[in-house]
Amino acid sequence: MLKKIAIEKISELAAVLMEKGTLLAPVKEVSGHNFAEIKDPKQVDLDFYNTIMSPKGAFFPHKEDFVKYKIGEPLSEVEPAVLNLKPAFLFGVRPCDVKSFEIMDIHFDAAGIIDPYWRFRREATTIFGYAYDLSQPVDSADFYNTLGIYAADPEGSDIFMVKKDKELLFKAITKKGENLLPELTVLKDGITADEKYFTEYVNKGKEYKTRFMTLDQEVVAKKLEDIFDNTDFWTKMSAACLSCGICTFVCPTCYCFDICDDTLFGKGTRRRVWDACMFTDFTLEASGHNPRTQVYQRLRQKICHKYSYHIRKYGVISCVGCGRCTRHCPVNIDIYSIVEAALKA
Amino acid sequence: MTDFKKIEENLKTESRRLLKEGLVTVVLAYGKGFDENHPMPYAAKTIADVDSIVFNEYCNYNMARYLVRYPQGTKIAIAVKAADSRAVIQLIQEEKVKRENLVILGIPVQGMKNPKTGEVIDSKTTCGMYNPVLYDILLGEEVHGVKSASPYDVLAEYEKMDKDARWEFWKGQLDKCIRCYACRKACPMCYCDPCFIDQSKPKWADKAPQSPGNMMYHLTRFHHLAGRCIDCGECSRACPVDIPLYLFHKKVAKECEDMFNQQAGMSIEDKPVLVDFRVEDSDKILE
Repeated sequence: MLKKIAIEKISELAAVLMEKGTLLAPVKEVSGHNFAEIKDPKQVDLDFYNTIMSPKGAFFPHKEDFVKYKIGEPLSEVEPAVLNLKPAFLFGVRPCDVKSFEIMDIHFDAAGIIDPYWRFRREATTIFGYAYDLSQPVDSADFYNTLGIYAADPEGSDIFMVKKDKELLFKAITKKGENLLPELTVLKDGITADEKYFTEYVNKGKEYKTRFMTLDQEVVAKKLEDIFDNTDFWTKMSAACLSCGICTFVCPTCYCFDICDDTLFGKGTRRRVWDACMFTDFTLEASGHNPRTQVYQRLRQKICHKYSYHIRKYGVISCVGCGRCTRHCPVNIDIYSIVEAALKA
Repeated sequence: MTDFKKIEENLKTESRRLLKEGLVTVVLAYGKGFDENHPMPYAAKTIADVDSIVFNEYCNYNMARYLVRYPQGTKIAIAVKAADSRAVIQLIQEEKVKRENLVILGIPVQGMKNPKTGEVIDSKTTCGMYNPVLYDILLGEEVHGVKSASPYDVLAEYEKMDKDARWEFWKGQLDKCIRCYACRKACPMCYCDPCFIDQSKPKWADKAPQSPGNMMYHLTRFHHLAGRCIDCGECSRACPVDIPLYLFHKKVAKECEDMFNQQAGMSIEDKPVLVDFRVEDSDKILE
């Protein structure tokens, strides 16, 4: 089933989705686009390359309150945070970012402990994937091809969108998508030519080239294990690294968090907040000992976690090549170049 | 002005010589990134490393930020542009590095660009100077006869706001902060270990990216840099959400200059204004 709408009428679709539930879509901010909860249908703006922050925040917010309490009160008086129970629509996600949700599911919904917040949001959300605009140049930081992802891959999306001139084509990919699409009466039926365009676009996506290197998971995992103690290599790779948290915060597959108690005048909130392995206090132990005091140790951890330990533990690289860490690094550290150098080291 | 390619050549020649003669063990300069528009801060330790040194209009990093990473006593050559040289001076004043351990490679330059926006970096977001204040070797001809606006001109709009409007302005700006701490990490003057915001006993602010924690972090950092910020603009360029941090730093720098008649990082003979006491100092702060 294929549906379509004129891009200039996108706010009409947004209004329909907002009636059905919570709509998260790209909006233009001062420094670029980001996913945000839409309050006014006119906010939705599809004129973007990719968002600054990854869409992981839709399921795993930067800050998430769990409980509010008063010190000295019995446990029964504690107020747990209320989850938004409405269905949600995550609109305009690029194929590489869609892929990241599957990787994140391993940590929040498969590897032993189930995170109810993540799982609930994932189940309640319909993902509208959105192919990259193949007529625009690819950003030099991107390398999702290396991870086997292409610019117009519908896989993982519930509904996949493709831009055709001034129209947007919608195709249901999953059961969830098939159920929703007919309900969106603001959309018109696509014609046979649209079907053809959609299929061709998906295929053409494979020729839209990002940076690419042949990456054998076993080889890279082993190589990084072998050079773990090569301090010269890691010092060189991290000579420019400022050890800030931008790369991990913008990353769609970084999932480390801290549980914090924020108390003031006897009242407190326990919440989860994103943390970053690039921060000095990330590994600070209660004894005062810190096993990773040096920048090179922290950068090594980040690279090895994504390209070695994650393969060993879960059989998949924890990176989708979206290029955000490289694009937003204040000193242009490039994970792709580091992996490439590691393979040659 | 000497062109970028020539400066790069001079930078390489001097780096090779200094490493070859054993005068320094590391040269802090700029190196190749993943493409030409994305050079990186670079530490050359061998003569072979020098081949990767580059200099172009996107090499706006303040390499003084990396000086404190090396143990005291390390012989370091450092490439500096105007504001960067002021950072080196300020670090010397604060005894974080010793003058005799440094070979300062001065780069007079105008027309550096912000890679994110493509805009020329000028006195709006930096001190707007073209020539290094302190150097041992100059890698190009000094820039003269090019007028630069006062670094404080950009404050005109801001100063028109009353106290409440300023509070609202900063509240709005700082609410955007994602607490990645790139500003403090890019700052050559933010060398505290640990930074107050990382302390857990006492815990000065909440970790969540929201006020009052965001306010606590930025307002404290702004004031820790009073009389020390040399206006290189690295914090604002590093910020992924474009908070105009330079405005606050410029405002504080201007106040300091008015009160103490001294700019940060202009002479190694100076003492940082807030650790110095002179009988003639302004009492404005007590009024």
